[in-house]
Amino acid sequence: MDFICNFPFFSILLSLFSGTVCSVLSAKAARIVNRVVILAVGLMSAALLFYLLSTGESFIYWMGHFPAPWGNEIRAGVLEAGMALFFCIIMYLSMAGGAHKLPSEVVESKHNLYYILVNLLLSSLLALVYTNDMFTAYVFVEINTISACGLIMIRQVGRTIEAAVRYMIMSLLGSGLLLFGLCIMYDLTGHLLMSNIKESVELIVANGEYQVPLIVSVALMCTGLCIKSALFPFHAWLPDAYGYSTVSSAAILSSLVSKGYIFLLIKIIYRVIGFSVFNSTRMIDVLFVFGLMGMIFGSLSAIKENDIRRMIAFSSVAQIGYIYMGFGMGTQAGMVASIFHILSHAATKSLLFIAAIGLTDVSGGSRKFVDLTGAAYRNKWAGAAFTVGSLSMVGIPLFSGFISKLLFAQAAVQVEGKMLASLIVLGISTVLNAVYFMKTVIRIYTSEPEAPYEGITFRNMRAYAVTLVCFILLNIILGVSSQPVVDMIGQGLAMFA
Amino acid sequence: MYLILLSILFPAAAGLFLLIRGRTPLSGEKGNTDRKTLLALTGCFLVITASLVFASLLTVKEGFTLFFLTKTLPIYFRIDGVGRLFSLLAVIVLPCAGFFSFAYMKHEERESRYYGFYLLVFGVLNGLCFAGNLITFYLFFELLTLSSMPLVLHSGSKEAVMAGLKYLFYSLCGAYAALFGIYFLYQNCDSLTFTADGALRASAITQQGGFLLLTAFVMLLGFGVKAGMFPMHAWLPTAHPVAPAPASAVLSAVIVKAGVLAIIRVLGMFGRDFLRGTWVQSGWIILTLITVFMGSLLAYREPVLKKRLAYSTVSQISYILFGLAVMNETSFTGALFHVLAHGFVKAALFLCAGAIIYKTGKTRVEEMRGIGKEMPLTMWCFTIASLGLIGIPPTGGFVSKWYLALGSLESGLPVFGVLGPVILLLSALLTAGYLLPLTIHGFFPGADYDYGSLQKKEPCKLMTVPIFILTFLSVLIGLFPNLVDGIIVMAAAGR
Amino acid sequence: MGPNLLANYGEAVSAILFCIGFTNLLLQTNLIKKIIGLNIMDSAIYLFLAEKGYIAGRAAPIVADGITSTESYINPIPSGLVLTGIVVSVSVTALMLSLTIRLYTRYHTLDLDEISTQLKREGR
Repeated sequence: MDFICNFPFFSILLSLFSGTVCSVLSAKAARIVNRVVILAVGLMSAALLFYLLSTGESFIYWMGHFPAPWGNEIRAGVLEAGMALFFCIIMYLSMAGGAHKLPSEVVESKHNLYYILVNLLLSSLLALVYTNDMFTAYVFVEINTISACGLIMIRQVGRTIEAAVRYMIMSLLGSGLLLFGLCIMYDLTGHLLMSNIKESVELIVANGEYQVPLIVSVALMCTGLCIKSALFPFHAWLPDAYGYSTVSSAAILSSLVSKGYIFLLIKIIYRVIGFSVFNSTRMIDVLFVFGLMGMIFGSLSAIKENDIRRMIAFSSVAQIGYIYMGFGMGTQAGMVASIFHILSHAATKSLLFIAAIGLTDVSGGSRKFVDLTGAAYRNKWAGAAFTVGSLSMVGIPLFSGFISKLLFAQAAVQVEGKMLASLIVLGISTVLNAVYFMKTVIRIYTSEPEAPYEGITFRNMRAYAVTLVCFILLNIILGVSSQPVVDMIGQGLAMFA
Repeated sequence: MYLILLSILFPAAAGLFLLIRGRTPLSGEKGNTDRKTLLALTGCFLVITASLVFASLLTVKEGFTLFFLTKTLPIYFRIDGVGRLFSLLAVIVLPCAGFFSFAYMKHEERESRYYGFYLLVFGVLNGLCFAGNLITFYLFFELLTLSSMPLVLHSGSKEAVMAGLKYLFYSLCGAYAALFGIYFLYQNCDSLTFTADGALRASAITQQGGFLLLTAFVMLLGFGVKAGMFPMHAWLPTAHPVAPAPASAVLSAVIVKAGVLAIIRVLGMFGRDFLRGTWVQSGWIILTLITVFMGSLLAYREPVLKKRLAYSTVSQISYILFGLAVMNETSFTGALFHVLAHGFVKAALFLCAGAIIYKTGKTRVEEMRGIGKEMPLTMWCFTIASLGLIGIPPTGGFVSKWYLALGSLESGLPVFGVLGPVILLLSALLTAGYLLPLTIHGFFPGADYDYGSLQKKEPCKLMTVPIFILTFLSVLIGLFPNLVDGIIVMAAAGR
Repeated sequence: MGPNLLANYGEAVSAILFCIGFTNLLLQTNLIKKIIGLNIMDSAIYLFLAEKGYIAGRAAPIVADGITSTESYINPIPSGLVLTGIVVSVSVTALMLSLTIRLYTRYHTLDLDEISTQLKREGR
């Protein structure tokens, strides 16, 4: 086994450890540690990705060299490494983009706490991505929840605490269901490692035994993760949580945290239950229907919203609906589309959050649309970035959103029963997206170009502007050369089997 | 191949440059020089772009793939007959209207934004005409909507913004309906590269013929939104009056034609043989005839000049669509001819209207009595262009309507074969009814007209010359149709 | 179903407890009651695991009296899972309680709906 196979373990441990270290550091040092760790983990993931692409097969890493079925395992394939890399990129950019706002949002003495939470979040995300053990996954789901909750409430306003409480409650309901489902699965199969469970599940299905408990377990796990990732009827906590937390938190929460759970669900579908078994349950139809409803109702709520950040948050509900619709199609193509949408949505949504803060900053801190009139003239970088993000969300070619819609549509055309429903809803939801995003874009570009807002030039916003440019580039890269990414996703899914 | 790319990217880059440079001319001495540089720059850009386009029209023969969006979806450019025709229209109308705006936009604010988006539209239009497959076309179609919207809402008033939004949503809805169809085509074709005679797999036609017909209809409706086809025509009369006059000219003469171009492409992809005689054809003919008649009627009743012209566009574009829907050689030729004829005429009319508004501030038709005495040159051009729109020889409109009617009669379609020409004729009468009174009252204001307050208000050369050119062209193609014959034959043959 | 249910009364009880906890966590408006619901829910799951991990007639997996045959001990993993789970649930409960205290000192009520209305009135 090559040395590089240690990297997944290293990256989890590094971020976990650095989180602990941050607690004794000053705010500035903690920030540097945080950045360095994210970069290091990103580099390791990139190296791992190249290694895996060159060897062409995944590997399993025994923690402490205890072999299955006793030991705890880490598994790395192309998809895992790619996700880890992508998460790091988004997290780094989100942190960089929100850094200048942090002093005004969080009390100075709590800054290092903030970085602890971010590091913990990173480690739990990495663990969710890499782990091969169901119970470890559960534990890190809880760690993820706790750190996400911390990220929401570290900005001490009444709203955020309330949002954090609501978020906690929904998350706990979700993880309770997940844990119960997992225990039933353990009960049925006697294993906790994903690969072993899958073998047993195949046996059980082949013998036709324990149908009801199996379905109950699958349903419980799915529902749990759906609640945690804010699928449509369970999204009540989301707008407040994303709308009022700090900028970086909002960007990270919307683009990464819910995606971590979704990625876990993908792993469960492929590595625990088995894709074909999962498709034979009713669960995919349920996911499909709720996905479609989310796409429409999320957008409708966003249209009604009068607050730019809550609007973006509601649009997340719709986008998560897209992802679940892809799951619900029950085909490989649908799954590829969903995974691509995870990437494209993460890149776009964090861009929108970061750009929105630039716009609200130059409008006297107000997030009401009325006050945002002409904001794009006052902060040109943020305006341009918001426009790009909106165009991507609306699905204009050359941006990442178009490709994911294209993939969804291509997947939908291949599924007989669900074709019409998904295409129609896709169309409606795209138009609704266009309604609220283009409305906002026009709003921020109408009015007299007054004198530029004090001090918003490239020089004093260098970090912010560079971040925005990186995000825009990321979006365009995903939109223009999507084929390698799609190929990689396909390869990664093939490794799952 | 670099020429094609340049003719798309150069104006786009130039437009972006102007947008980013973005200094609004200040008042006073400095503002004046600022404005002059801006105009000089824009003028240069327009001329360079036009020459690039001409060069690529003349020299480029081969298509080329720029890159692959996904494995099977290349961004592919090629110049074929139809594309050449539309690009010819664009490359003549856009610089004319552009130079017209130099004078017209003098008192408007944020000129650099206007010219920036104007150049962007130019680039995108070139891309649209040179697109070689459906996905490339769709890309530029969306970009066209986005880049032309700022022209509509340029003035920034609440009305203009609402009109811009309306335009945007109509267009986007249409484009998505069409995209919906593209997905199906993609599934049932070997490639999305344009052809003139059907790209559907034979197996797909036998298996899901009914569904494909529905798809075709949805795509026609979707792209028809841009072309102002009933029932989705309402954005046109809202968007035109609020847009600056040269922008309306471009919108009406060229951008609306993008919808026509799209429909020609879709027709080619499905193949005329596949659609001929189906419910799609009859449904489509009914829609176009309704639009033709209704547009003229509404124009007849409309008191605001620019709105009247907008309704007239609705009606006239559906002449073209009718010609396409009849689906035979003659009517197709007529439709293509009408693309050019209407393009020149309508651009000239809108520029005239712009000149009138600019000089007198009058927007309603009844206020324009005696206008011919004040601005004789402009009104002469207006009159000649009107004749072109009505279809009186020797203008281009006559030739195209002749072919359209002939094609319809030849087609042997039940009912519509005869009903079509009748409605076209009726609508032509209405056209005369809504355009000629302007000329008549303009030149013969009646006995009670106060000649004492008459002033010469002829606009400056920057305004009159473009109007002249466009009017002249509209007559020229009527007098010598064989000038453009070659290109139209090529387009009709799908080469 | 009937005999199965009787034979597996442990699972049945834990499932019922789980439902009780779940509904409490979901529907109670009082935050403390919600937290109690959370604990009931988690305990139900641990009960389930412990019940499943126990095999009648075997001892806890602590080697005593020199008996090394695996047949005489139960599998330690379920018990280990229960312990891990308890740790997680304790930390989550602590976090929830601290949040509750924060809210209470700010709004002087434990009722989540009332807090929401107060927030709306604040207009932020």
